[in-house]
Amino acid sequence: MKKRGKGMGCMWYPIGFTVMANPSAATVKVNEDGTATLITGTVETGQGSLTVLGQIAAEELGISTDDVHVVSADTDATPMDTGAIASRTTYVTGNAIQLAAEKAKNILFEVAAPMLGVRPNQLEAKDRQIQVKGFPQSCLPIGEVAAHAQNGAGTPALGSASYNPPTVAMDPETGQGKPFSTYVYATQIAEVEVDEETGEVEVLRIAAAHDCGTAINPMLVEGQIQGGISMGVGMAIQEEMLFDDEGRQINPNLTNYIMPTSLDMPDLEVDIVENFDPTGPFGAKGVGEPTAVATSAAICNAIYDAVGARIYNLPATAEKVLAAIKSKDRSDRQKYLPAE
Amino acid sequence: MTDDVKVADKTDSLTDLKETDEDLRLPSVVEPAHFPVETIDTEARHQTPAVGQRATRPDGRLHGLGQTKYIDDITFPNMLFAKMKRAGISSALIKSIDTSEAEAMPGVAAVLTGKEIPVNSYGPSYQDQPVLADERVFHAGDPVAAVAAVTEQIAEEACERIKVEYEPLEPVYDPVEAMKDEIKVHPPHSNIYATKRIKKGDLEKGFAEADHIFEGVYSTQMIEHVPLEPHASIAQWDPNGRVTLWSSLGRITLGRADIARTLDMPINKIRIVGTIVGGNFGGKNEITTEPALALLSRKTGRPVKMVYTREEEFIASTTRHPFIMEYKTGVTDDGMITARKVRLVLDGGAYCSWSETTLGKACILSAGPYNIENLLAEAYCMYTNKTMTGAMRGFGAPQVCFAYESQMDEIAHKLGIDPLELRMKNAFHEGSASPTGQVLQSVVVKDSLEKAAERFGWKEDGQ
Repeated sequence: MKKRGKGMGCMWYPIGFTVMANPSAATVKVNEDGTATLITGTVETGQGSLTVLGQIAAEELGISTDDVHVVSADTDATPMDTGAIASRTTYVTGNAIQLAAEKAKNILFEVAAPMLGVRPNQLEAKDRQIQVKGFPQSCLPIGEVAAHAQNGAGTPALGSASYNPPTVAMDPETGQGKPFSTYVYATQIAEVEVDEETGEVEVLRIAAAHDCGTAINPMLVEGQIQGGISMGVGMAIQEEMLFDDEGRQINPNLTNYIMPTSLDMPDLEVDIVENFDPTGPFGAKGVGEPTAVATSAAICNAIYDAVGARIYNLPATAEKVLAAIKSKDRSDRQKYLPAE
Repeated sequence: MTDDVKVADKTDSLTDLKETDEDLRLPSVVEPAHFPVETIDTEARHQTPAVGQRATRPDGRLHGLGQTKYIDDITFPNMLFAKMKRAGISSALIKSIDTSEAEAMPGVAAVLTGKEIPVNSYGPSYQDQPVLADERVFHAGDPVAAVAAVTEQIAEEACERIKVEYEPLEPVYDPVEAMKDEIKVHPPHSNIYATKRIKKGDLEKGFAEADHIFEGVYSTQMIEHVPLEPHASIAQWDPNGRVTLWSSLGRITLGRADIARTLDMPINKIRIVGTIVGGNFGGKNEITTEPALALLSRKTGRPVKMVYTREEEFIASTTRHPFIMEYKTGVTDDGMITARKVRLVLDGGAYCSWSETTLGKACILSAGPYNIENLLAEAYCMYTNKTMTGAMRGFGAPQVCFAYESQMDEIAHKLGIDPLELRMKNAFHEGSASPTGQVLQSVVVKDSLEKAAERFGWKEDGQ
């Protein structure tokens, strides 16, 4: 008989990494027509980071995503970046980009101020214009200002900056300290169906509510959450690298190493929890890794809810779930650690 | 190779090699591009303000049309293909490596062993991993030699003809066994290569205040990232002594420094171009074949490419740490956590890689997003003679989350408290102090619990 159950997993996760500094640097150039070029040392690894980073530069300059072209990942040409790691790109590289874009923008303000008869600090960049705060009728197209900055004033609008998250070293004995600048939070809830006769688990649906601070690009945040859950499903019920007695892997191929395909994916209901982190670029934190964290716990708790069998040892393969249903004891908990 | 293919003889001059290349080259198939030339942009890309827009990715269209150039799609004139000879034994001393038969093979341009690498070690925390093992093998996937040849097939065949003599050593695979240090993976160093400790409050007092004590041991498995694109690089050494590497590496700045170290070269003589990466998930956060390819390119004067097979992706790249996690938690009758003690043992595999960071994150996060005044978390990472473990999406967090959230569920069921309510009672709030004493900001644990519960229909569901 197939039985259904529900279970939740809740988590927290830091943005950036500890042990050593993890800075990023960036350069933003505003072209004579008001478009911009962003130069960053980070690598696009499929998550859409270059799109998000372009949006951050665009926002600071008051232009659109499409107005920013992103050049990345060439050590001869691009500034240093600690890399696409530790869910840090939006937060750390994003902060560096916002600071670099601000420097370029300030050059535009210096140039535009006498043209508009105001002081630079009275100006803002919005809707592809440099305009007077509180009096947007007094404005100049950003391209006109950028062209004048370069060809008239002789001060082309560009800026470079770097950012490193502020941390406090941890005490070696107690671990007390501030290892990370900020954290994100999330909850995932799974509904599963467990076949009591075979132990097979089908994950029916997962509701996921994730915090990432401001969602710079909600579509890409949702994509990250969906992808992270697929890895979580694999960890929960399918994936495992196995070794023989001589330390050689016995399933180093996709025939015998089973991972989720689109057919294994549950229905996903994704929510972005509204939040704003004052230390992030426009309030953003990060989202890459946290998406894969809570899934296996939620699924195993749902298995327990369905059939009363607790899984202590991942993955919850059909064999293991069936054994747990049959024994309903804690036989798979025997792998105790030696006494201290 | 068919019989009628002209091959260079043993004393292959560059001319002979060139002819071999030409004979073996497959007819070039130039597919005309069948895609609409006009681009399609969504409205969101043109909107201001830019932040908050569901802007499409400019690379998405290229992926969809099959126009993205991954390293496997990139080719240069006279490019060679490299393969690596894998040890296949998990712990052994290397007595000798005989490459003569491989070097004599027609179509083979160069063979490289670890002895030729200026500084034959690397690693982001400890430099404990050889580029090519030359004295000792630490796990079965270790490379012991690299071959560059005019085709991948010849390079692979040449690898089979390399003879390595091993003196087998006693291996250790189980991290708990390794903890005893009876068999050392990297002698004279202890197998326990990284530890972390978080201590807060008074553990004994906390357990004394509890009405219930919950104890459990949880464990997780070794997992591979399985990116669609395996690790891949092309190296080109130029006549000025500068090397350019096109690589699937996800962190080029630090990677360049690592490569400079192994090659004993100034950083400004190395250029890394990060290509479009077909999935990383933490697995491409360190250098792999790049130094060997650079040296093969120097030896041959030709560009050299290597793309991992799917099997190599499993046996020779980093993986997710298996964890053994011992949890003891004190709870009052009304479900408030008074104390938690955590011990984590990580199977660190043959090399440190990103284990130190993984261990630290796991230890810090191991108590969960809950207010716990009395806490002790200790974590140990162990060398074993298995595939190295390293960075993978979540850096130790998915493992500890499985443990702390499973135990939260056990507590809820035992005390008859709804799992949602139990978490709401204990969850961090704005200004909570983390296990390391950090005052937390922009905390929305409870909001995420409520939002997910509402979306799921947690409360309406009568189960």
